[in-house]
Amino acid sequence: MKLRNRTGNRKIDVNMTPMIDVVFQLLIFFLCTLKVIEPEGDFDISMPLGAPSAASVTEADLPPFKVRMESDAAGDLQTLFFNGTSLGGGDQALAKLNSEVFRAITALQAIGKEQQEKQEVEIDPDYNLHYRYIINAIGACSGRLGPNDIPVRYISRIKFAPRREP
Amino acid sequence: MKIKPTNTEIAEIDMTPMIDIVFQLITFFMVINNFDQNEADERVALPRDQLARTPEVVRKDAFVLNFGFDRDNKGQLLSETPYLFFGDERLSIDQVRPRLQQESQFYTAIGTSLEDVTVEIRADASVQSGMIQELIQMCQEDGIQFQRFALKATQQSVP
Repeated sequence: MKLRNRTGNRKIDVNMTPMIDVVFQLLIFFLCTLKVIEPEGDFDISMPLGAPSAASVTEADLPPFKVRMESDAAGDLQTLFFNGTSLGGGDQALAKLNSEVFRAITALQAIGKEQQEKQEVEIDPDYNLHYRYIINAIGACSGRLGPNDIPVRYISRIKFAPRREP
Repeated sequence: MKIKPTNTEIAEIDMTPMIDIVFQLITFFMVINNFDQNEADERVALPRDQLARTPEVVRKDAFVLNFGFDRDNKGQLLSETPYLFFGDERLSIDQVRPRLQQESQFYTAIGTSLEDVTVEIRADASVQSGMIQELIQMCQEDGIQFQRFALKATQQSVP
């Protein structure tokens, strides 16, 4: 029997044009739909049910750290109080709050590591204070950035005090 | 004088490297594109904080509340009243209660415990904080009873 061996070494020419067309279409689609979104993070708020009243019983043995935030008429932070002590206003106050919380936490660690985990912070803002200050205060209470951008956690239980009337 | 005839043969270009690169580019843009953040509303200008990090444990169920202002294309405020945005629908804080009840009933109906549902609040940096407290309080009322809350912020890069 005679075997055909004609297809052996022949090069097949594939027409690439349609594929390249489609591939470019795809490329342009992805280029156009690209939206640069900054990464989002969040803070957990521990607000157990039935806790809107100030006298609620919580797991913590010690009373919560109280962060009182007073605002001016425009909604900016005027005075910040940590456990009744005034820390002033503006960004400096938030930096001070961060070091005050660190001091309080170090004192707690002497009693035991568990205490630190149970410790709560209660944030008590004026009604018209802008929300950005709340986030910054929560950030200041929850920790600081350590070397290599790794956060060092101070307190993770954060709650709100009952709402103040406007 | 004798003129040489021009060569009419078609030059063949090797397409392989170009296609390689183009595929690389497509893959890059596909990966970069995050389809996840569909729920992020552009009308909300989130506050920034260095400590805001993505949660270490993936949340089972999350219910996002976008709380912001009506803005024009340039990001300027159109009104002083903040609204809760649900897609094209916008509700003021006084109108949102039935909606929250509906959501809560939905989770109960599909058999998800409300303890496992996190309410993620994406609020604008300029919203009054009393309103955020009011919103959280409303989420905890009888008949709604959400229990877990998270406040969203943009991760601020370290200078």
